[in-house]
Amino acid sequence: MDRNPPRRDMRRVYDHDEGNGYTADQQSLRLRRFPSQMSNQNYPQFAWGSNPADEEPSGGLPQDLRSSPLPMALKRAVRQVQEMQLPVVSERDSWKRKRTKYLRNLKDNAREFIYIFALWNKSLQKIGGNFGGGVQSYFFFLRFLVVLNFVSFSLIAAFVFIPSIVFRSVGDSGVNITVQESFLPPSTGPQDCLQYDPNPVGLGLFYNYFLDVLSGTGFLEYSYLFYGYYSNTEMDDSFSYNIPLAYLLTVVFYFIFCFICIMARMGIAARVAVATGGSTVGNYSKIVFTSWDYGCLGDRATKLKQKNIHYRLQVDLEEENIKKRKASLTLTQKVMLYSLRVLMFLITSGLIAAAGYGIFEATNFSQGRSEQEGVLGLIFEYLPSIVITTANFLVPLLCDQIALIERYSPSLTVILALLRAVVLRLVSLSVLIFTLWGQITCDGNKNHGDCLLCGYNHDLYPCWETRVGQEMYKLTLFDLLINIAMLFLVEFPRRMVVDNWSNKLAQKVGRQEFVVSSNVLELVYSQTVVWTGALFCPLLPFINTIKFVILFYTKKLTLFQNCRPALKTFRSTASTFFFLVVLLFGGGLATAVMVYSLAVIHPSYGCGPFRFFPSMWSVVPASFSNLSKTTQEFLFFIGSQAFSIPLFVLICVVMCYFVALASVYGKSVALLKKQLKQEGRDKQFLVRQIEELSRKLQIPTHAAGVRD
Amino acid sequence: MGTTASQLGKDLLSEYQELTFLTKQEILLAQKRFTELLTKDEKNLPNTRVPMERILTLPELKSNPFRKRICHVFSTSEQKDGSLTFEDFLDLLSAFSDSATLEIKSHYAFRIFDFDDDGTLDYGDLEKLVNCLTGETDDTRLTTEEMRQLIGNILEESDIDKDGTVNLSEFQHVISRSPDFVSSFKIVL
Repeated sequence: MDRNPPRRDMRRVYDHDEGNGYTADQQSLRLRRFPSQMSNQNYPQFAWGSNPADEEPSGGLPQDLRSSPLPMALKRAVRQVQEMQLPVVSERDSWKRKRTKYLRNLKDNAREFIYIFALWNKSLQKIGGNFGGGVQSYFFFLRFLVVLNFVSFSLIAAFVFIPSIVFRSVGDSGVNITVQESFLPPSTGPQDCLQYDPNPVGLGLFYNYFLDVLSGTGFLEYSYLFYGYYSNTEMDDSFSYNIPLAYLLTVVFYFIFCFICIMARMGIAARVAVATGGSTVGNYSKIVFTSWDYGCLGDRATKLKQKNIHYRLQVDLEEENIKKRKASLTLTQKVMLYSLRVLMFLITSGLIAAAGYGIFEATNFSQGRSEQEGVLGLIFEYLPSIVITTANFLVPLLCDQIALIERYSPSLTVILALLRAVVLRLVSLSVLIFTLWGQITCDGNKNHGDCLLCGYNHDLYPCWETRVGQEMYKLTLFDLLINIAMLFLVEFPRRMVVDNWSNKLAQKVGRQEFVVSSNVLELVYSQTVVWTGALFCPLLPFINTIKFVILFYTKKLTLFQNCRPALKTFRSTASTFFFLVVLLFGGGLATAVMVYSLAVIHPSYGCGPFRFFPSMWSVVPASFSNLSKTTQEFLFFIGSQAFSIPLFVLICVVMCYFVALASVYGKSVALLKKQLKQEGRDKQFLVRQIEELSRKLQIPTHAAGVRD
Repeated sequence: MGTTASQLGKDLLSEYQELTFLTKQEILLAQKRFTELLTKDEKNLPNTRVPMERILTLPELKSNPFRKRICHVFSTSEQKDGSLTFEDFLDLLSAFSDSATLEIKSHYAFRIFDFDDDGTLDYGDLEKLVNCLTGETDDTRLTTEEMRQLIGNILEESDIDKDGTVNLSEFQHVISRSPDFVSSFKIVL
């Protein structure tokens, strides 16, 4: 690059008229470049002559100063100049300026206030500094879920839990069960449907208490934990509070609230993902310019980050070389590779299907043996959870080995592995729920033997909602126990072995790595289980909050004590969006379960707030008739076609507007890029002209010099 | 105007809050850490300039491969020795703070990476940059062949006007497509 030195001199000459090598804040047209007498050319210039009256009185002045890359002394001087130059502005303008300044101060103070209360900030900072952004994003996600669960539990507590406690303590004085005649069970043997006796036997032994806590039966079964305990009372004397309606609407709003929170968080992540365009061009520049983490603390973390970057660069360069070589594969090789991939896809689908079948069998077996006592009974109770956890552990391992044969590019392999794990988890949960449904509703056949009497299988499930709630409770609890057990039985010993035993095998296996993706999938799975069980076990979000808090501290402990930082990092922003999408899938499954239970299955006659309604949802039309006439007419109008069709058309128009706006922005970005290229070419052309001219001017003087 | 060693007046504090992206807590914490670096005599002088070696003992900067460049970029000293006053230190923290804008971060990142201070990133700058990123020891450096391939790729991707160097706008264009930059260009005390 030996044409650089003369060009640089030329550029210095060329740029001297513009005054500097750096341009000031380019967004603002107000900050015009100003030829300066400053000796230090490294400071960007500030337009001393700019008139504040030209600017829109939007309070942009202080904001501008903060984002201008000047040293403090200069910023102060500029501010003084601006304040002196302030012309007499109208009262309205000065009021506007004061207001924006006040609002900005308020926003700053609010941010400071929230920052003090944000949970676990110091820990997250420490984790990010030592292990990088990928691991930190897992803990951010965990914190988000803790807050979400806690806030949504407070919703349920306020509207369902506390009123129930109040009404029970007040007693049966104000109880008024309003029920229509047709809702009562059929006269042929109604007593069978109403029979529900959850009272525990053998309360004496502590051992039984322990088993009951673990399986949600016994003394826990008829408690606030499960659906069966809530009554269908409506207080009528001083004020009316309709518990069934409150229960139903609270659960529905809980779902909507969680959905809104996740969408809000996704919006932020999506905006960022769209802005980067998703293109893979610019990969090297991105790594070199943006990959250094300035929050890295300590020599060890720094060296590790450097090794990490080195590894990434080498891998990318090698992949580029491989790709060049791969483009020259022969046809037979290509056909073989593709057929191999199809075969592997079939094998992985088969593995997932086999896992699903295993769970189906285990659930049937466990439900059939529900009367077993003691430890064996406990194992039978937990059999579905055990099978699910084993499947979720084994199948991804096998899929990893299969991925080695498939030979996709590294990024595609990671995405495929994640997708397979997600599908596996959701399939296992759906199979469990499907099996339960099959047993409760006799495979959907309302007129089949056992279900003929009450609409559901009242022999096996006198209170089927509590049963479903118990299954979800067991899944949650088992997950937590397994995590703690793994910590003490697997991770700590592994570290002991690796640190103290200098065997070749031990060194090869090495300390554990904190794999972000599988941990995040665990969280998503737990949250889906909680959502599915929320209708049947109202205290489940609270239990989940405690579980996630315990999880935070145990994961942090294992991270700092047992894990070594990963060599291959995990891109934090794109993956955050992916995690939230997966969470939404889980939420969708839970919503489907809830909607089906609300609308189709007959609630139990023997327990719960919806005792005598044909379906849980029918409490809403029943209470609807209690509303005033005008409210009813208003609600009917909103549901009618005269309102919803214009609303729909309006939403379509708004969407079209945004799509058009997006396409216009895209086009202007492309145009600006072209303009930039054009300017570069113009600059090169002018530089060459200058070189030619200076050469022409030099030759006569040189000749003159030689002659002399 | 300088800082007295012990207390920051309320006016000064609010001025700093207006001119930087730091919150009041962060400014006070910065003052505490800065005064820890001063010797006993220096504590009584206003507007002391702390030499670079002492700044580099801060744990947040100690192992950063760009520490010397950071000090040089934010220093306002005439001798170009990388020494910082308290206000330079606040400027540093403001650019690296949580709420600083993408523009100011990318601007300062560009100046940090411009090892020869000529206003553009050319082959030499990029080579020094990559060596800082991968580590200076022999076994962590890229080979010459790999370096050439890498810098060739970088220039091909980011040099839009094809002049063989990356200027500020091209640099900011690359940065704007990388969402992790704002969160990784952060130093919090």
